Amino acid sequence: MSTSNPERDALQHKSALVVGVGGLGCPVALALVEAGVGRILLCDDDLVDSTNLHRQILFSEADIGQDKLDAAERALYRAGALPGSIQLVRSRLLPENARELVRGVDVVLEGADNFATKFLCADACWLEQRPVVHGAAVRLRATVLSVAALGAPCYRCLFEDLPSGAAAPNCAEAGVLGPVVGFAGALMADRALSVLLGDASLFGSLVSYDAKTDRAREHTLSARAECALCSSERSIDSISYDRYTAPSCAA
Amino acid sequence: MATVRIPTPLRVLTGGEDQVQAAGDTVKDVIETLEKNHPGIRERLLDDKGVRRFVNIYVGDEDIRFLDGLGTVLKSTDEISIVPAIAGG
Repeated sequence: MSTSNPERDALQHKSALVVGVGGLGCPVALALVEAGVGRILLCDDDLVDSTNLHRQILFSEADIGQDKLDAAERALYRAGALPGSIQLVRSRLLPENARELVRGVDVVLEGADNFATKFLCADACWLEQRPVVHGAAVRLRATVLSVAALGAPCYRCLFEDLPSGAAAPNCAEAGVLGPVVGFAGALMADRALSVLLGDASLFGSLVSYDAKTDRAREHTLSARAECALCSSERSIDSISYDRYTAPSCAA
Repeated sequence: MATVRIPTPLRVLTGGEDQVQAAGDTVKDVIETLEKNHPGIRERLLDDKGVRRFVNIYVGDEDIRFLDGLGTVLKSTDEISIVPAIAGG
């Protein structure tokens, strides 16, 4: 979406949490800065690695070995971030900090590289009544889903729980293509900006993009009657450590 | 013959093909055909309760959970999409 001056003025008073400053988080953060979002929290605990550079567009060779957050902060201020608008959370999103972090912003953009964090973020956002845009990209495929505050359908309506065991998607075989995360990150930011400006029309819509066929499909989700998070039968009413244990994607 | 769109994580089972044709009157039938042609794919899609909880199957743009599940009847022109949960970026 394009932003007019009144919209830019409105966005100066809005805040966003970017969970994961990687292939998705980098273009997400850049787009939020360019749109004029007034406060952007970056949440990550990783260092810049040479294998990141082809897709994590805020980083350069000079940043290798440095904290991603420091490198991202420098890049975003160079790109014109409002003074004081970038705030750093030097941690992963964890069960002990998730609710507090999401509570403090107007929208959450989740581009985590592991399922545990994705489900944790979904749960924390729902419990704290915060809208969230979920994004993921592996190889040539990307998905983006935005969920309203206290929204149904939610991420758990789509994917009920963490994959486990041999049946889980094989992350070790996967790679991540730069343009695919760029596309997905831009779409995530676009949806978050729509949320911040009060547009609720895209909640519950899943975009699935396949770069091999260069085709994006939009699926309108329905809430799942037995969803553990957002249904009347819900069983998740707190953040429990043992609910978020799954192997990370090494890709 | 339905057209089945194969997501990246499952293309290792289809020789890299991103879409395949498979015969069947229902989604379940199509999955059985896929299993015959591409052994191992059924286990990636189904468990003993039905469709795995981190996989979604669409006929056109409709989630089969909101149609007739695995018993959803197909037309020959239908396109089936498999959307697995992915994490990465």
